[in-house]
Amino acid sequence: MCKRLWKTSLLAFLTAATGLVAIASHADAVDDIKKRGKLIVGSKADYKPYGFRDSSGKIVGIEPDLAAHLAKKLGVKLELVPVVSSNRMQFLQQGKIDVLLATMSITSDRRKVVWILDPAYYSSGTNILAPKKANFTKWEDLRGKPVCGIQGAFYNKKTAEVYGAEIVAFKSTPEVYTALKQGRCVGFVYDDSSIMGTLADKADWADYEMPLPTIDETPWGMAVRFNEYRLYGMVSEEIQKWHGNGTILEEEKKWGVKNTPFAEEMHNKYPEWH
Amino acid sequence: MSRRPVLHSASSDLPVLMAPRGLPHRAPVHERFTGLPMVRLEARHGLGLLLLFLVASGVAQAQVPPENPSIIASVIRWAPLLLSGFVFNLAISFIAMAGGTIVGAFLGIAQISLLPPVRKGSWFATQFFRNAPWLVLLFFVMFLLPFQFRIGGFTIPFPDWVKATLGLALPVMANVSEIVRGAIQSIPSGQWEASESLAFTRRQTLWMIILPQCIKRMMPPWMNLYSILTMGTVLASVVGVNEMLTLTQQALAAENRAALLVPFYAFDLVVFFIYCYPIARSTVYLERRYAVKI
Repeated sequence: MCKRLWKTSLLAFLTAATGLVAIASHADAVDDIKKRGKLIVGSKADYKPYGFRDSSGKIVGIEPDLAAHLAKKLGVKLELVPVVSSNRMQFLQQGKIDVLLATMSITSDRRKVVWILDPAYYSSGTNILAPKKANFTKWEDLRGKPVCGIQGAFYNKKTAEVYGAEIVAFKSTPEVYTALKQGRCVGFVYDDSSIMGTLADKADWADYEMPLPTIDETPWGMAVRFNEYRLYGMVSEEIQKWHGNGTILEEEKKWGVKNTPFAEEMHNKYPEWH
Repeated sequence: MSRRPVLHSASSDLPVLMAPRGLPHRAPVHERFTGLPMVRLEARHGLGLLLLFLVASGVAQAQVPPENPSIIASVIRWAPLLLSGFVFNLAISFIAMAGGTIVGAFLGIAQISLLPPVRKGSWFATQFFRNAPWLVLLFFVMFLLPFQFRIGGFTIPFPDWVKATLGLALPVMANVSEIVRGAIQSIPSGQWEASESLAFTRRQTLWMIILPQCIKRMMPPWMNLYSILTMGTVLASVVGVNEMLTLTQQALAAENRAALLVPFYAFDLVVFFIYCYPIARSTVYLERRYAVKI
């Protein structure tokens, strides 16, 4: 009796669970966007200066600006959905967002999950933020030492496996900065361009530096769902245009990032848009 | 030799009456059960929290280079956004509580049903959701449900916060179910027997005699549950809902200053305390008022 009840309950639960996973019907994303009059872009809200909130609650930064360009091109309004590294690709797959523009480095694993757009719109390498007195000169110096990182960042694994650091992963940068200042880790493995932005704040970070050679220069890709050919084509052309007409370089300047070699190189690669 | 009654109190005329000690109606009852004096939440505890916030701000302030805006100024600048996030926490707590209470009440009544399948089924549902971690339930709901439904030609959006509300309503439902069942079973069986002898049907007995008596017994634990739920709404930040904690983290990321971390979280603490404290007080009041005399 009791056994049967268990079985029945379990079966009922599973049936209910499967029934809940409704499948959204699928038209072309561009049609959907035009019909709804709104482009929904997933962007970071905790990654200064690429995507962060101002005190009025608006999401601003380099990537929201680029998203606004994209919405203008499509002739629709823009809605930004804040995402984090651990949920951004799921949001795209579920169809909650149309385009993913959220500091995502291109990796071959990620290409298997979503369509990552070529060309890349940005690029960064990996480096560490560390106190000057730690005197790191090479990555191997990190062996066996606790190093802070952000959850879901791909270079955590490499720093741990190749250089033998012990990664202490946090959800967002404020926690990391606090941990770093309290000495709970010897350094913070992160994007070099972002670290440079932090170091620009001389008041808070005068005793810190970015001591190591930058490794793993990796391009950042925007992404759309699989088989969205039209959207892919449009966005891809936009990215080339941004590189060619200097939009990316201007955005870097606007948000206080030194022009990166990648952005300059890409600018020269698309002279037809100059 | 005759035994004479001992006079315990000079002020009493009755020789065997013990003199009242302090507050006779509360503390002794509690102490009789636990052997410990009762500790209660009081307004001064809130002052302690506020002090923590100010000290945290003060300590942080001391480390701030003079050219940066002060800690308090930063907190004030972000306060409107953070409070708007808090309103969102409250909205989630209201809706989850309302939904969870309605469904939970029926589930609780179903737990004392005379039909074995109904009784056992509702018991299972109650135990399942009551013993599952809230965060796990939240994750389940977040990733199992679609972000929109299509019924006919209409697309009904199903945003994150609705899913989070649903995810939090499930444990509330199960807890309310237990509160209702417990309250019904705490009513002396004489009530059932008396109403049966007066020819009330089972349904009439339940609705007209038992449940009205349960209401006041259920109020304190129900309010406790609400308080816990309100504090639990910050769990929604883990699944990406833009409530107070998420916004706090994003504000901190935008400010990019390590010194702000503790003051910002302390601000959150104070806000939640200011909201939950009156609820705790009124729960105490109701408990005292409805206490069953032993």
